Amino acid sequence: MRFCLFLGCNMPAIRPDVELAIRLSLQSLGVEILDIDGAACCPAYGTFPSVDEEASLAISAWNLANAEKKGADIVVQCGSCYSVLKIGRYKLIHGKLEEINKKYLSKVGLRYEGKTDVRHVLDVLHNVIGIEKIKSSLKYSLKGMKVLFQYPCHVLRPSKKVGFDDPENPVVFRNLLEALGAEVPRYSREMQCCGGAGGFAKHDKNANLEFLKKKLDAMKDEVDPDCIAVSCITCLMHMDNVQAEMRKLGMIDYQIPVFDFNQLLAICQGHDPNKVAKIATTPRDAVIRKIVGNKI
Amino acid sequence: MIEGRDPELIKEIIELGGHDLLKCYQCGTCIADCPTGLSETPLSAKRLIHIIKLGLREKLLEEETPWMCVTCGGCEERCPREAEPFEIVLAVRRWQCKEDDTYVPLVLGEIFSRGHTQNVLNPIRKELGLPEIRTVANNEEALRKFREMIKETNVYKKYSYIFREE
Repeated sequence: MRFCLFLGCNMPAIRPDVELAIRLSLQSLGVEILDIDGAACCPAYGTFPSVDEEASLAISAWNLANAEKKGADIVVQCGSCYSVLKIGRYKLIHGKLEEINKKYLSKVGLRYEGKTDVRHVLDVLHNVIGIEKIKSSLKYSLKGMKVLFQYPCHVLRPSKKVGFDDPENPVVFRNLLEALGAEVPRYSREMQCCGGAGGFAKHDKNANLEFLKKKLDAMKDEVDPDCIAVSCITCLMHMDNVQAEMRKLGMIDYQIPVFDFNQLLAICQGHDPNKVAKIATTPRDAVIRKIVGNKI
Repeated sequence: MIEGRDPELIKEIIELGGHDLLKCYQCGTCIADCPTGLSETPLSAKRLIHIIKLGLREKLLEEETPWMCVTCGGCEERCPREAEPFEIVLAVRRWQCKEDDTYVPLVLGEIFSRGHTQNVLNPIRKELGLPEIRTVANNEEALRKFREMIKETNVYKKYSYIFREE
């Protein structure tokens, strides 16, 4: 099993511990991780896609073509990268492919055939590797812990072009957390977006904080979880960092640690938490201690 | 033409990616689930579409709300008419960039100069034992080709002042 790991920008730049967690946890599950020579920004929605669709498709095709050279599909964690590449690929193979190849890729000796697909890491874990294999790779478990998931919006919608799960009642993230032994209680705002992507926070900071506070309050009041699991670099940075801002402003008086799913998985597989879960604003030490005390 | 109204505006937005604009029947489903709804100036695809249909260029140009979109896809998923409101929001951004250069995000220049929106060569990578990064940020030959390709785009030709080699 081989996959090209698409890094994007935020993960290698700001949260490289997540990159390590993905590499190590997938390798422990028998996945060969390939690096894409010459990969670049996907390009993110706030960049080329907001100015010129053709230029945006050319850059997505650049990334897809470079992955295709390795003869494998892409695996990606960042929700925006997933969406841009997946929808970009959809638009390419539904009409623009030859034009983009001719006008752009051929000028630099590249060509995208449309073979290499784009898969989110949750999809690969659940639908390619499988729950049983994941369970058999664990040395520690999340038994006795309540964990809530933050579904990456971009892997659910628009379901016509992206995704691998029911867009309104998804099951994949819950199944994966339960495979690690966690209890995943239901609560009212389960499917609310984190609000971290795009220009919402930049344009109206107060409304953006209030929006996430509604979700965090619901988590705290209805469940009081040990931690939140995300699988998108923006959800991770936003939900983790913004809690500190909210505490300073007196908006909340609690804190809920946030992990990327692959960080929890890697810790449960016995990888060094000081490496795979090194960077956080909201302290995670208590949760990590609990996990490594939970030997299977 | 009614004064101040330009029927061409609809065509311009459709050409820039809002292909299914005319399917919208103004039901407001797109607003109901939008995260920006808590703002006093929320993003409303319904409202943008109405402005476009009325042909109000000035009004559309001063709308900053398209840039608030969190790209969650909620409107796109739930639109009962499959009008693709998210694609319309992106098309409005593109139209605004065309009409007024100051809308063009300067981060395009970052992507051109180092392949990424930010510096991915984080020294912590080595500490963590991560392999050397192999994206264009760390591959001169690939970066040169990447820039060469971007130079073929209309964005580069039109806004060349944003793009610098270093």
